[in-house]
Amino acid sequence: MADEELDNPRDVELESLEAIYPEIQKPKPDDPYTIALDVPVAPSKEVIVFFPAASDDGTGPAAPQRSAPQREVDSHEIAHLPSIHLKISFGAKYPADEPPKVAISTDPPWLPVDTIKRLEEDGPRLWEDIGRDIVGFTYIDHLHQAAEDVFGLVGEKNALEVNPQHKIAILDYDIQARRAAFEKGTFECGVCLDPKKGSACHQMLDCGHVFCIECLQDFYNNAIKEGDLAAVRCLAPNCTRDREKAASSASGKKKKPKIFISPSELLQIPLDQDTVKRYVTLKYKTELESDKNTVYCPRQWCNGAARSKKHKKPRGLELAENSDDSASDDDEDEGHIEGEGKSKPYKAAAELLSICEECSFAFCSRCLQSWHGEFVRCTPRREKEELTAEELASLEYMKLHTTPCPTCAAPAQKTHGCNHMICYRCQTHFCYLCSAWLDPGNPYQHFNTMPDGRVTSCYMRLWELELGDGDDVGYGFAGGAGQAPHPVVAAVPMQDLIPEIEEPSDEEEEGPPAPAAPARPHEAQAHGGQVGIAREGPLVLRIAANQPAGAGRGGPRGRAAPGPAPRPVRGGRGQQAVRGGAQVQGGGRGGAGAQRGGRQARAGAAAAQRGGGRGGGGGGVGGVGGPLPHHRQNNNNQANQAQQRRNVNNDPNQNQNGGVPGGGGEFVEVGELRGGQNELDPAQEAWVRHFVQLALNDEEDILFEDDFSDDD
Amino acid sequence: MSASKRLTKELADCTTNSPPGMHISLPDDSNLFKWHVILDGPAGTVYAGGRFGVVVQLHENYPFRSPTVTFATRIYHPNVTNDNLGNICLSVLKPENWKPAVKLVSVLEAVRNLLVEPQPDDPLEARIADEYKNDRKEFEKNARAYVAQYAKGAVNWEKAEAGAAAAAGGATTSTTTNTTSAR
Repeated sequence: MADEELDNPRDVELESLEAIYPEIQKPKPDDPYTIALDVPVAPSKEVIVFFPAASDDGTGPAAPQRSAPQREVDSHEIAHLPSIHLKISFGAKYPADEPPKVAISTDPPWLPVDTIKRLEEDGPRLWEDIGRDIVGFTYIDHLHQAAEDVFGLVGEKNALEVNPQHKIAILDYDIQARRAAFEKGTFECGVCLDPKKGSACHQMLDCGHVFCIECLQDFYNNAIKEGDLAAVRCLAPNCTRDREKAASSASGKKKKPKIFISPSELLQIPLDQDTVKRYVTLKYKTELESDKNTVYCPRQWCNGAARSKKHKKPRGLELAENSDDSASDDDEDEGHIEGEGKSKPYKAAAELLSICEECSFAFCSRCLQSWHGEFVRCTPRREKEELTAEELASLEYMKLHTTPCPTCAAPAQKTHGCNHMICYRCQTHFCYLCSAWLDPGNPYQHFNTMPDGRVTSCYMRLWELELGDGDDVGYGFAGGAGQAPHPVVAAVPMQDLIPEIEEPSDEEEEGPPAPAAPARPHEAQAHGGQVGIAREGPLVLRIAANQPAGAGRGGPRGRAAPGPAPRPVRGGRGQQAVRGGAQVQGGGRGGAGAQRGGRQARAGAAAAQRGGGRGGGGGGVGGVGGPLPHHRQNNNNQANQAQQRRNVNNDPNQNQNGGVPGGGGEFVEVGELRGGQNELDPAQEAWVRHFVQLALNDEEDILFEDDFSDDD
Repeated sequence: MSASKRLTKELADCTTNSPPGMHISLPDDSNLFKWHVILDGPAGTVYAGGRFGVVVQLHENYPFRSPTVTFATRIYHPNVTNDNLGNICLSVLKPENWKPAVKLVSVLEAVRNLLVEPQPDDPLEARIADEYKNDRKEFEKNARAYVAQYAKGAVNWEKAEAGAAAAAGGATTSTTTNTTSAR
């Protein structure tokens, strides 16, 4: 043939085509007349592409239908569809006698087969139309134009249906093509006002504003460094506000639009990992801090926040969003990552069981103890200084109506009698009015003229408040409590005082100094120390022999037990164990029917016992009384009850330990007799033994059931 | 990015394409960070005929920090302090609302807009705002009196310098507070 001719029309055509489309390739090295070319499919308007449910998979590339509205499940706006590969062979007889051979394909094969066929047939048809002449450019241009409406596949609705199996490839292609187009573009950064290549810019994912990467990095790095999280948003003026408005007007109830920038976008910009990490952490922290319901781990070294559904701890660089749509995902996550979160009875005890995000410590959000199961009743932990109203009232009452012992600060309330008191705990003699220490050898001098002729402020006041002190007794004289344990005896020099305090019982008659309740000056803080003291006292049941009969001293409240009957009195029970244990020791404590109960709560039974001492035994007091007819310490009931309750709460162990007599270092002295005249009669003694036995088994309530049905 | 680069651009923009009713100059040619703007009272307002000096003080971190804009000329306005400081209450200038992409021209436009349309609901001078709302006549009379007294003739920049400096200090402080609270 005339191949050698320079003006071979094929060569001329190829030359001009290569000039127009420099991207033309020649896939076959041995055939220079076969060219390959990609024709981009970038519709003039974005196309809505549907990916119908994968039901018609088997049919291969589904014939595209005009959008099927009932299945508009999965639609995307696509600006760039994968380009079509065009291969044209100009045969030897082209252009005069042979049309070009055209092959069209797409990768992935998203273009329907019949469309491809139609396009391929367009080649020869056009060749015929222009009179069997060179058709290369005409045809390629025809394809370009046809691509603008996706070869007629999109209808008026601008919708295209594509087999879902190509979805990912198509979306990917679109993203890449957009990115490429963006990078080729030029933008003026609103911050530095410089025109920048798209490749040096970042387009905000949410609003589409474009800034140069340099400015974004500068600004966000700075904001995150300074902790100004609110500034981490689009830099365009009014951008977020406009979006907020738009969102709220679009749907009133929809949650606030996302105005902050997601960590992943910050990484895309790109910011440093560390910076983004800080952003995520700060964001989480502020979120927690702004929520009053956040529960923090009670472990002091940890202090992490408890896991909550509202605020997820960010994992890695992803900020867990507290939005509804992500909630389900997050829950699943939770289940996989930490299975223990689910196995707990989350629903029932939802408000209480908390698990620390940091150390995984499971605790109760109410009492802040380690998790105790959902069937335990607990109370909120209180600050050390915090008092309940009840306790406050007790303190107030004690302030008004008790006088502290000058030695051990145990408060005493006088129910009636003279103002010479003997401490139930340490046997210190003191003045009820001014809390002054009194010489056990001659306690009444305090109320009289001193040897040197001076007088104290309590001169001639021995019998003040004879009917007792307190709201229900006496007339509200504000005890000596206000004066603290400092003796105000002007006449007694300090050095005289001290040795006598140390061994107060030396001058007393027989009986060893009560070992059970050694003075504990270190605990002697006004009223506050009582609880501690009470709790620590060892169990001592000192059941003193009581005067039978002669219960003349039943006390103004008439709590006296019926004569010698061993049955303890309710009043006694009402008293607190420890303090009650103190009870009054009869004059000079000689015959004092004091029993002491170091034990708390249940040991209140011991108190009851004491009560016996007080009531029935009160007789003892009176009997022994000798020169001192009346003194009595009484504890106020309110305080007792409050304390008792607390003790019960605090010392469950104490209640359980007492099973074995003598166990746990507790010991019992039963029937320590003082003075021959104080013998118990056999019946009494038997009862006491019985009681003690029961008390050790925590069963003493049996004895008082009728009286103490309200016992806790 | 450098603040002066952007300022050069903005200034060039303003001088080639001067926004209406404004005359922009630099008091010190070597210092891009302080602008003097003479704002003509917008026609049709009580401020018409007045020439108001406005000082724009820019932070070295501009545009990441908001500029400080103050009136050098006293003006009777609900949103401008009625003293030598001439502080302006303008939401775009508040540190929490400031966006780096806001240009000075638009800030100045906003200031000018404030003269056209005072915002008595967000006042700096509550008394004037009240007057503006409840006794417009009295307000207009006072505003005109101020224009006549202060806003005629050349702008006395010196007097405003001290005030602007103080205002800049105040703005910095408030920015710091803001940052702290955000932590």
